[in-house]
Amino acid sequence: MIERLTRIALWIDERVYISKLFAATAGHSVPRTSGSWFYVFGSGTLVCFMIQIVTGICLALVYVPSASEAYSSLEYLNYQQQLGWFLRAMHNWGSNFMVAIMLAHLIQVFLFGAFKYPREMTWISGVVLLLCTLGMAFTGQVLRFDQDAYWGLGIGAAMAGRVPLMGPAIVHMMLGGPIIAGETLSRFFTLHVFVIPGTIIAIVSLHLRLVLTKGINDYPVPGKLVNKETYIEEYEEELKKDGVPFFPKAISKDMIFSGLVLLGIVGCAAYFGPAGPRGVPDPSLINTAPKPDFFFLWLYGVLSLMPDYLETVLMLTAPFIVIGILFAVPFISNTGEKSPRRRPLAVLSVLFIFIVLGVFNYLGTFAPWSPHMEAWTSAATPVNYLEGRSPLERQGALVFHNKQCVNCHSLGGAGGLRGPTLDNVATRLTGDQLVRQVIQGSGNMPAYGKNLNPSEVTALVAFMRTLHSPTESPARDSTRSEQAAAEKTPAKALAQTGEMQE
Amino acid sequence: MKRFKIGFFVAGVLMISFLTGCTTRLPGQPTEAERWRAPTDVTDFSQLYAQNCAGCHGVGGRLGAALPLNDPLYLSFVTDEALRTAISKGRPGTNMPAFSQQVGGSLTDQQIELVITGMRRQWSRPDELKGVELPSYSVNGIATSNSPKSATVNDYSVNPSQTSDAQRGAVAYQTYCAGCHGVNGAGGTAGSIVDPYFLNLVSNQGLRTTVVVGRSDLGKPDWRSNVPGHPMSSQEIDDVVAWVAMHRQTAEATSVTATEGTRAVSLQAK
Repeated sequence: MIERLTRIALWIDERVYISKLFAATAGHSVPRTSGSWFYVFGSGTLVCFMIQIVTGICLALVYVPSASEAYSSLEYLNYQQQLGWFLRAMHNWGSNFMVAIMLAHLIQVFLFGAFKYPREMTWISGVVLLLCTLGMAFTGQVLRFDQDAYWGLGIGAAMAGRVPLMGPAIVHMMLGGPIIAGETLSRFFTLHVFVIPGTIIAIVSLHLRLVLTKGINDYPVPGKLVNKETYIEEYEEELKKDGVPFFPKAISKDMIFSGLVLLGIVGCAAYFGPAGPRGVPDPSLINTAPKPDFFFLWLYGVLSLMPDYLETVLMLTAPFIVIGILFAVPFISNTGEKSPRRRPLAVLSVLFIFIVLGVFNYLGTFAPWSPHMEAWTSAATPVNYLEGRSPLERQGALVFHNKQCVNCHSLGGAGGLRGPTLDNVATRLTGDQLVRQVIQGSGNMPAYGKNLNPSEVTALVAFMRTLHSPTESPARDSTRSEQAAAEKTPAKALAQTGEMQE
Repeated sequence: MKRFKIGFFVAGVLMISFLTGCTTRLPGQPTEAERWRAPTDVTDFSQLYAQNCAGCHGVGGRLGAALPLNDPLYLSFVTDEALRTAISKGRPGTNMPAFSQQVGGSLTDQQIELVITGMRRQWSRPDELKGVELPSYSVNGIATSNSPKSATVNDYSVNPSQTSDAQRGAVAYQTYCAGCHGVNGAGGTAGSIVDPYFLNLVSNQGLRTTVVVGRSDLGKPDWRSNVPGHPMSSQEIDDVVAWVAMHRQTAEATSVTATEGTRAVSLQAK
């Protein structure tokens, strides 16, 4: 029996060369130093990708890529299908882990100088994979087809629409028509399910092939420089002297890490659950504050906080500059030191980028992209701003709500954040300045002159004049006191007028 | 090796119980309560109130800029019909907006009914007011006709009744109101109630409601406690409202303030 099975196995092996393939891949020799805990992120990303493929296929069995049914098919998964929510959660957390671990891989490769000669193409294919993964994240977010998806896509289309001359054509191609509709969803479904995953599989093959042919980067040692003439010889010498087979020696840590990743994804999925869907994608529902997933939150933060005059320039040039720099990394510094201990600039730039992205992500969590559309009926005026106020001032507080000022300006922490908070506005602006600001607006604030009658303006300003801390007095117009003084001493005023006339 | 076996056993039990769904609910599983609902599908009073009313009438119906709805006296005083009209059509000319979808608001008729019944269920205390003879909601018991003539013109449809008299109101004012609002109504500890700007933003019905129910949440007296032991009569309430309303700014005066506003703006621009 066993003999027969062995014969069958050998027969197959003789025809498809499985053992040779194994010897050439898993069995190939790698530097002993590369069996390090720092080298596990690449395989971790690949494990995430495989989880995404499996869960993605399962999701595709239920998901209906049509504008009218996408949302309800997700609700079906969440609330009716047994463990459907878990499947969605696995796919969602798989994507979060994939982006995070991929970034760790990128940072490790950068800090260890693994992009230097002769592994430039490995780096470049990795950058393409990074872009593809971010593309998967964005298109996946669109497939959720809820309010976040709708407005996220709207923002993306609006940015593409700013491209000179070709803008409208690009938007048309992106959305499959002038508006976000069923065709849009079909496009993004095709991208998410066929085009980008296919590209990823192809590029991953190239990426792994390069790892095999050019070898895994040896653990950087300070003072051991990369020299184009001698590097390959030195590397092969090291392999001969101190190489270990990739399987099972070097791969063991990868396998442990992959197991932890899997546990992490299952744990997060079970504990935190799936994302959304958050509301039907109906543009007539304005009571929404769409937010992208965390990997685009920094971008959301940047876009909502940058000054308006920079918008077009930055949107149309920054992506190309950033991506261009990523591609150019192996050509900027191709030889020399690999160790991060001798590359302070590399370490500092990683820290700098990390801090910048971290801060923007943090800001993005509450960046005031849109007004708080429900604040006018839901955000109550703090009680201490109403106590001891006159009937007119309390009416002013009502005008503040009824005219929806509170949708953009917060009081006591409640309300929108589009405009400055008005808790202490009386210390910044005099009554006249408040009237002018309300009637004429300025900057991003619209003019309300036509929407308020004089009584409403008076009441509103009377209320705002009470908004200052007890220890600070409200702003005053210095010319008023001059005027009053002049009126008290008419002789002096006359003399002044005389002087002026002279 | 033994530890591995135990580990496998525990993991296996967990996996099987998890997959068969016989364990307790996992924390990540979305609940029906978390399911997104269209605003028009909300039927919970607390949620409806918090989203639509709390901004002006205060959290929990008290201590807002507008009158408290969590006030048993007010809820006994106001009729369902008046509440329905005020919520659905708003009070044109005042700061009470219209909430009915038919006039561009956000609430369905059913939700408006839910708000009214919810307020009555949670905040009404009819027992506390047993035996108290309340003044009628509107003047002479005539229900408020709130047909909006124009959204920008104040709704003075609840005119002081034929029998009310501002002269008599001035006398009643001195008795009941001057203690807080000053001898001529223009000041005192409670602030001016004859300021034309203020009066342009409130309806006569609003004045009447305030005179009758006061503002219990801010400790302001109702019609019984202005002068302890001596409640205002219906006639006195009518008269005081007529006297206060008399100070409302006329059309000419409004245009003057408009010019003043423009002057302030032009000064600022310079």
